[in-house]
Amino acid sequence: MTGVNDDVRPGREGPPGRAELLRVEGVTKAFPGVKALDGVDLRLLAGEVHVLLGENGAGKSTLIKMLAGAHRPDTGRIVVGGREVAVRSAQDAERLGIATIHQEFNLVPGLTVAENVFLGRQPRNRLGLVDRRTMNERAARLLERVRLRVPPTAPVAGLGIAALQMVEIAKALSLDARVLIMDEPTAVLTSGEVATLFGIVRELRDSGVGVVFITHHLEEIAALGDRVTVLRDGRSVAEVPASTAEDELIRLMVGRDVTEQYPRRRTPAGAPLLRVRGLTRRGVAGAPGFEDVDLEVRAGEVVGLAGLVGAGRTEVARAVFGVDRYTAGSVEVDGRVLRPGDVRAAMRAGVGLVPEDRKAQGLLLDAPLHDNLTLARLHRDTRAGLVDRRAQRREAAAMAGRLKVRMSGLEQPARTLSGGNQQKVVIGKWLLAGVRLLILDEPTRGVDVGAKVEIYRLVNELTAAGCGVLMVSSDLPEVLGMSDRVLVMARGRVVGEVPGGDQGPAAQDAVMELAVRHAEGTETGGETGGQTGGEAGRQTGRETGRQTGGDKGNTSAMEGSDVG
Amino acid sequence: MRRRGRGATASAAVLLVLGLGLGTTGCDRGGNTDLGLALSTMNNPFFVGIKKGAQAEAKARGLKINITDAQNDPTQQINQMETFTSQNVKAAIINPVDSDAAVPAVGVANRADVPVVSIDRGVNGGRVGTTIASDNVEGGRLAARSLAAALGGRGRVVVLEGQPGTSAARERGKGFEEGVREFPGIEVVARQPADFDRAKGMDVMANLLQAHRGVTGVFAANDEMALGAAKALGSSAGGKVKVVGFDGTPDGIAAVRDGTLTATVAQQPELLGRQAVDRALRAARGERLPKTVKVPVVLVTRKNAAEFGG
Amino acid sequence: MSAEAAVRAPGTAPAEWFTRAVLRNGPLGGLVALVAVMAVLSRDFLHGRNLLNVGVQASVTAVLAFGVTFVIVSAGIDLSVGSVAALSATVTAWAATSQGLPVVAALPLGLAVGVVAGLVSGALVAYGRLPAFIATLAMLSVARGLSLVISGGSPIAFPSALNHLGDTLGGWLPVPVLVTVAMGLLAALVLARTYTGRAMFAIGGNEEAARLSGIDVKRRKLVVYALSGLFAAVAGIVLAARLTSAQPQAATGYELDAIAAVVIGGASLSGGSGKASGTLIGALILAVLRNGLNLLSVSAFWQQVATGLVIAMAVLLDTLRRRSTR
Repeated sequence: MTGVNDDVRPGREGPPGRAELLRVEGVTKAFPGVKALDGVDLRLLAGEVHVLLGENGAGKSTLIKMLAGAHRPDTGRIVVGGREVAVRSAQDAERLGIATIHQEFNLVPGLTVAENVFLGRQPRNRLGLVDRRTMNERAARLLERVRLRVPPTAPVAGLGIAALQMVEIAKALSLDARVLIMDEPTAVLTSGEVATLFGIVRELRDSGVGVVFITHHLEEIAALGDRVTVLRDGRSVAEVPASTAEDELIRLMVGRDVTEQYPRRRTPAGAPLLRVRGLTRRGVAGAPGFEDVDLEVRAGEVVGLAGLVGAGRTEVARAVFGVDRYTAGSVEVDGRVLRPGDVRAAMRAGVGLVPEDRKAQGLLLDAPLHDNLTLARLHRDTRAGLVDRRAQRREAAAMAGRLKVRMSGLEQPARTLSGGNQQKVVIGKWLLAGVRLLILDEPTRGVDVGAKVEIYRLVNELTAAGCGVLMVSSDLPEVLGMSDRVLVMARGRVVGEVPGGDQGPAAQDAVMELAVRHAEGTETGGETGGQTGGEAGRQTGRETGRQTGGDKGNTSAMEGSDVG
Repeated sequence: MRRRGRGATASAAVLLVLGLGLGTTGCDRGGNTDLGLALSTMNNPFFVGIKKGAQAEAKARGLKINITDAQNDPTQQINQMETFTSQNVKAAIINPVDSDAAVPAVGVANRADVPVVSIDRGVNGGRVGTTIASDNVEGGRLAARSLAAALGGRGRVVVLEGQPGTSAARERGKGFEEGVREFPGIEVVARQPADFDRAKGMDVMANLLQAHRGVTGVFAANDEMALGAAKALGSSAGGKVKVVGFDGTPDGIAAVRDGTLTATVAQQPELLGRQAVDRALRAARGERLPKTVKVPVVLVTRKNAAEFGG
Repeated sequence: MSAEAAVRAPGTAPAEWFTRAVLRNGPLGGLVALVAVMAVLSRDFLHGRNLLNVGVQASVTAVLAFGVTFVIVSAGIDLSVGSVAALSATVTAWAATSQGLPVVAALPLGLAVGVVAGLVSGALVAYGRLPAFIATLAMLSVARGLSLVISGGSPIAFPSALNHLGDTLGGWLPVPVLVTVAMGLLAALVLARTYTGRAMFAIGGNEEAARLSGIDVKRRKLVVYALSGLFAAVAGIVLAARLTSAQPQAATGYELDAIAAVVIGGASLSGGSGKASGTLIGALILAVLRNGLNLLSVSAFWQQVATGLVIAMAVLLDTLRRRSTR
């Protein structure tokens, strides 16, 4: 069970004979207190998509940073094109034909697309000045290859995430990279965008590029990959074909069986906790608005908020928490109206928000864990201007233990934790602040399977204790599986409700039907014009791919694409 | 003003503040301006003295003088010279922020055929009618002689130098060297910079006292450092240890009067200012002037301190 | 972890031991190293009196730098502290000497001037959304200008009751050193134990996360700059007391010494880290260096070169140390 192109491209399992582009042998890397890599082997052939799979903290990031020249191995070898090499810098990697697309893009927002693509290598004219015309022409050809329909002269600052990623790929193409490493490229994309991306990756593969692809979405492995190397605790534990069953991949990755993916335990709903009425805000550049949003969360209830990216879910969550103001409507907690645009008022009422982007909005990355865990209760721990640091440490230690945060100690900086553990810390911060209503915005994005289940168990604990949870999630099985009710948003409005608990294909179809039907039509948006309508199509494509799980035919996903 | 065109981008706020400033300082902008005086800074009593002298001289002759403050920025000085030329002044006086950096400013006046004289510091280029300056080298010699006399020709002396690289620091130090050579019994045991600053003079003096025992004399290249050194010396200043300063600032002269400083070499800023106006007018009449006009410095001791108001 | 790094390195050559000791202890190691070098080169350096001199000479920079530490920890910068120090001292002297106010009124007035200057900078940063660099650069100019306006450009005698702040107790213990210790303890307390102090670290670490965790970022910034202004005022008053006169031009350029002290002390200019003890060590390093260069009679030109090199070395060592423990 490999990708659809298997039949026309025999031998994609990587038989001998195909040129080896890159080989990593017995590489180890220790950081103080942590052995990040402890014997990793990886073999990348020309014209294959090689998936790197592993939980957060398994060593994937360290490995690709090593290939990008950011870290150097303590022991072991890196062989490129048959010769042992030392990758000491990004320039070395570039020379060796290795291009890496990191999760955080390396783009300069103030420059144009073309300038970014050729950053530092702009074509010059005879006078030594940047030859803009040549540069823009060459950029335009590259953009065509990645099917990005923006002018090369457009500033990068105005582009959406998917477009930014395409610009990064164009940059890699301009370097004639033979090895392309992509670190969770799909984590931030809508399903339709994913389909486009897959199309481009396949083209690159067919032209002989070797692609190292990191993802947490198991269904993407079979759809795109050829072979899979599984990392666990810094070791490469297996190299298997991409057709390997999901359960088996999970077992390899986690080292045990994960029986229940969505362990929601329902609690009888109590009194209404949160009541939002007629919430309205006009959209501004970069942030979609919302209109006349009503929603209610009762004690002990998990309410899901589903919809396409750009439907206004995050914006509603932020408005409820008092981060952004709104033009009309009200937010009540326990029957009392909250002051708009006042985070502290929302916190006093017992509301907490686990934001979408935990690194940019949730954590003090370089601060120790105990500071992160107690940040939202700083007021409560202050008496007469003085903070009771001892109590804070005690509370933080207890919380870290309860959440099973994998750390070397409370002094460890949050930056060095894996994504799942970081997310546990952000949630722990709100538990320590004594929330009664927790808003989770994409709570498991970039979180591995094991930590996901732990986060779901925390949601159960919260509701069992009488708290309410409002969960924004683009992961349909998750939002359906974990919520008691799912509200579907489209174009800033709540367009329907679906009961939770059932994450089967029918329920997913029902959600997508609502989201897409209402999203179709008129909305346009600048550079990436007409995206909403197209996005809907793409999203359907992806969800179809996901539902049909068994055969993993991703042809439909291809059809959904409109970028090109 | 010729430069207004370039100032098209100048915001209304700047104009407002400018107007406010001119309004409150009572600057008279009407009528014809006869002379321009571009001072390097007004943050120092010495330059304020020059300004006073120039103003008094101009007034006595019934002339209108425009005095500007470059806040130690050579670029501003260029702009100010441009302003003077567009005001059609008869002559311009420049007190260079820096002898090299003043060359373009002088060039502005030269091109407009406005005669220039410089005051306190020379200009290393352009056509300058004359340079009116205190005789810093002579002042250094005077200081050496007066310190030697106070010490009876024998003693261990430290020197607090001015800001490294400035001409005043260099010339005063040079004069002191020359002067002290005449007294074989005087030994200079240390020479350290204190940047013309009182607090630094105090700190450096305290440090030097640690390293050098039996110091009996101090020469500081300005009064501020001398006062700082006296503070560090405490009760021995003026007694066991003689301190000689330079500039004759009000604080310095007061210290001479009460005996903490043995002497200070007074410049005569007001005389400098008066002389500058006089020479500028002569230059405007086309007279030939000597290359430099040295305005004498005066040794202020306890005996004659009362003559200097302070 | 750092211990592990140290144990791993073999060899017992003194030079190597020395390097390792410095690397392990960061700023303190740098200070010890500098003191050791000075003690070897100059016999006069280690005398008790000289060390007290160093303490006095570090005091003004240290107190200014404590204030700047707050700002740098919260990812800001304060360029105005030297000017604000001069303004506070000038206002105090003007009120007491020229206006005849009693010292008990003039002193609080001087301190209040520092606080107000800080509040203005803070308001420009927090509510006016000006970059801290620009807001405090403006305040640098305004405060210096106002102190010239008030004093008419000439020094004003400092009230004699306050001059005791520049004296010694019992003939040997310098009061500026005591003030530095007191302000240092206050700074350490603010940073480690107060709500505002913890908020500084949060804001400096990630302003958005701090805001989304209920920290009232804008108000805290106001407090941060006000504290910086207050510390600058104290430094200005100590400086004037030492000189027995308030000088409008005093403390020019001291803001750069203060920033250097904070950074030498291990704080990051990008915010989120910093310690009062580190800042004190930074100020001491600068003072030891200047004292030592005087004792050694190093020429004026080379002194500036040496100072620059030591600043760069100190920060470089600290960077290396952090990298080796991370």
